[in-house]
Amino acid sequence: MIMLVDADIHPAAMPKEIAARLDEPWRTRYEEFGYRVANPPMIYPRLTNGGNRLDAYPEEGLPGGDLDLMRAQLLDEYDVTYGVLIPLQSHGFGAVAPDFGQAMCRALNDWLATEWLDREPRLRSSLAITHESPEAAAEDIARYAGDRRFVQALLPTSGETTFGRAKYWPIYEAAEDVGLPVAFHLGGMENHRGAGWPSFYLEEHVWMGNLEAALAVSLICEGVFERFPRLRVVLVEGGISWMGPLMWALDDGFDKLRADLPHLSRKPSEYLREHIWLTTQPIEEPAEPRHLAWALEHTGMTDHIMFASDYPHWDFDNPRTALRDVPKELRAKFYGENARALYGLEAA
Amino acid sequence: MSAPMIDTDVHCAPASFEALFPYLDAYWREYITGGTVRIGPALGGQYPMGAPTTGGAPPATVEALRERVSGFAILTCLSAFDANRNPYYEAALTRAINEWLRERWLDRDDRLRASLTVPTSDPEAAVAEIERAAAHPGFVRVLLPVRSVDTRYGNRRYLPVLQAAADAGLPVALHAWGRVGNAPTATGFTHTYLEDYVANSQVIVQGQLVSLIAEGVFERLPSLQVSLLECGFSWLPALLWRFDKDWRGVWREVPWVKENPSAYVYRHFRLTTEPAHLPRDDRHLAELLEMARASDVLMYASDHPHDHGDGGTRLLAAVSEADRAAILHDNAAAHYGLDV
Repeated sequence: MIMLVDADIHPAAMPKEIAARLDEPWRTRYEEFGYRVANPPMIYPRLTNGGNRLDAYPEEGLPGGDLDLMRAQLLDEYDVTYGVLIPLQSHGFGAVAPDFGQAMCRALNDWLATEWLDREPRLRSSLAITHESPEAAAEDIARYAGDRRFVQALLPTSGETTFGRAKYWPIYEAAEDVGLPVAFHLGGMENHRGAGWPSFYLEEHVWMGNLEAALAVSLICEGVFERFPRLRVVLVEGGISWMGPLMWALDDGFDKLRADLPHLSRKPSEYLREHIWLTTQPIEEPAEPRHLAWALEHTGMTDHIMFASDYPHWDFDNPRTALRDVPKELRAKFYGENARALYGLEAA
Repeated sequence: MSAPMIDTDVHCAPASFEALFPYLDAYWREYITGGTVRIGPALGGQYPMGAPTTGGAPPATVEALRERVSGFAILTCLSAFDANRNPYYEAALTRAINEWLRERWLDRDDRLRASLTVPTSDPEAAVAEIERAAAHPGFVRVLLPVRSVDTRYGNRRYLPVLQAAADAGLPVALHAWGRVGNAPTATGFTHTYLEDYVANSQVIVQGQLVSLIAEGVFERLPSLQVSLLECGFSWLPALLWRFDKDWRGVWREVPWVKENPSAYVYRHFRLTTEPAHLPRDDRHLAELLEMARASDVLMYASDHPHDHGDGGTRLLAAVSEADRAAILHDNAAAHYGLDV
């Protein structure tokens, strides 16, 4: 039987579930002020069902808020061996004042542990951390290290500055120390310097691949992988096929610009292939299926690509059909083996 | 005899403001001298003079150019794309550069064409400059920096500029780098030049291409053509697969986009051969060229004096004779309406 690991499932907590897990003064602060970070759908609304599968709305609460519905629509329906939760609320919680943010992230982690991980042995989760307060984040990475059901620390793709910067190194140091990968998912303090702000969700969604390419470049150029040689990084939901062209551009540039990069000992493509993992959803669909096979080969990292469904979002990739254009010999790796190796999951 | 090669991106730049003073009035000459404003070729760190990719200062005169580049060439002067935020200055400077290009280059060498530089921070001034100067047959495209100000070029605020270019029958050309007061990445400035260097081709230009299509620019302006200069091209297949798929998913948001985004790209966009960031493996290279439909979209550029490595040479060696003719001449001749 093939192992199926879903590397991107979104649970959503109701505000009252967070509030119930906050001590004072945080509870009152949360109830009176909430957290004041514009989340991506406020900037670029998703026009159909708020960006969710219509059938994923439970009777009460939010899509991704009901374990029984998630079991029926995902875990049981597709015989998922393991699923990795990615709680996007942490992107907002992790960007506010350090102590307040830490309290909210802990409330969210407690909710994940008690409402999901305790009740469903097939689930694993990402750890919510205060990514804009790296010292507090590092503290929590160490604090939760004993609970191996938290398989990665979660960061957004947009921070106050680029994620290669030394500001964020305490997070990478703590994650490396306890052997946890860090995963970046679209969100955070969205900003659009460089090309400027787009107008539509369509543009934002296409941009996720570019944003993750920029993120990978930042990690390499700032020397993160020289400083943390055992750090493993997962880029979620940005696609795959851009990775080959990015490597060609970076290696060409590195050949010419080495004097500006004395802190790098290897070609950029070598860091990318060793340290970066990618998820499939939304997998690229060229008109010519063989083009996808070529693009996958061009990345040279087919041991680092993991299936993801993105449940319960509108662009959910069905595990039965999503990898139909992926060469047969790679499918078992993508569906489960690569994730099993990264997250240290037991065979089914 | 085969058709002559068209070199679609050759840099030139005035060596100093002295060269532009004949085209600036007393107010701006005082602004420049009093403010000790410089117009050096590094352009605020865009092209560090010692960096091997820069290749030294661009030629400042026709004579200097012709010692290094022969044949038919389209000039690109980036000197107006610096960090200054005064829109009136930008308008005066771009007009002076266009006059300098006309008098000092176009009128002196009939195998040269040039890019009409327009301000980015004042669309009305850009329209006025296109209407003023586009009649000169030497200007074959309207130049904008790929790094724009605040919003992408598909945004409503730039539509009059795109309209004016289309009305004048000129493609709009987006060139790497640009308004360097604006950080190269979505979240800020970079510590290394490599991060800045790849931001142009791997990130920013893709956002601009997506913007122009998503905003419906080519439905409004069906004759508009867009050149992407020094922005790379090997990223194109992966971007279009993602863009086409996402459009099929959320087309309701942009009902004015009537076709697959990739269809607009192949009809309206052309890209230059430098930098050619290519795979080292010959089979992978052949696969890339097929996936990108290279012979349909690429136009040869030496990108003089810049040096991005051996990619451009390897590219031309890897294509058939017919495809080489398309890349060296035919695609650019059609795109710019050149009878050479």
